[in-house]
Amino acid sequence: MAANPELKQKVEEAIRENPVLLFMKGTPDMPRCGFSMRVVAVLEQLGIEYGAIDVLPLLAPLRDVTGEISDWQTFPQLYVNGELVGGCDIVEEMFASGELAGMVGVEQSADAELPETERIVPGGPQQSPPLQID
Amino acid sequence: MIVADLNEIKAMIEAALPGAGVEVIDETGGGDHLRANVRASQFEGLSRIDQHRLVRKAVAERFEDGSIHALSIKTEVP
Repeated sequence: MAANPELKQKVEEAIRENPVLLFMKGTPDMPRCGFSMRVVAVLEQLGIEYGAIDVLPLLAPLRDVTGEISDWQTFPQLYVNGELVGGCDIVEEMFASGELAGMVGVEQSADAELPETERIVPGGPQQSPPLQID
Repeated sequence: MIVADLNEIKAMIEAALPGAGVEVIDETGGGDHLRANVRASQFEGLSRIDQHRLVRKAVAERFEDGSIHALSIKTEVP
């Protein structure tokens, strides 16, 4: 299905305005999917600020939008400086290798271990306002 | 619920990436959370995300018909 142009514009704006932006299922405080939860845990571990958008209220339309923007239709999706980095697998790999810390300008010890995901301590994310199609 | 056939997924990836080493695993036993480990020379020089895109493209139909709910991907260059 063709993407809703208004929604696409809002998404492009969000990607532009947030150096680090996560499209996820649920919120950082309450992730609704294991993969989203793991990406949040990585970002929390890095201690950076990031925008977070809950895709669940508009799941199908957002898949169409990100399909057009990034040729990627599953969530979570992490954007850094306007570009799609990837989903959970890639984020975790790049965190472990130190590449992700490098991308977001954070110092990190040589062997980064994946964070435990039992407990997520909020602090860092700015919740972007929910996207709406008028 | 349509459940993805592991052998079919493997075959689809092998067809799209001739010569690749492909392993497809059912992570939960429920048929809907799969993992594909793919090692292919076609990945050489590509960013991780582009490597993943190649794999996903190979199985796009199964994403579209809903039989793959989640696919974890690990790519490697031989």
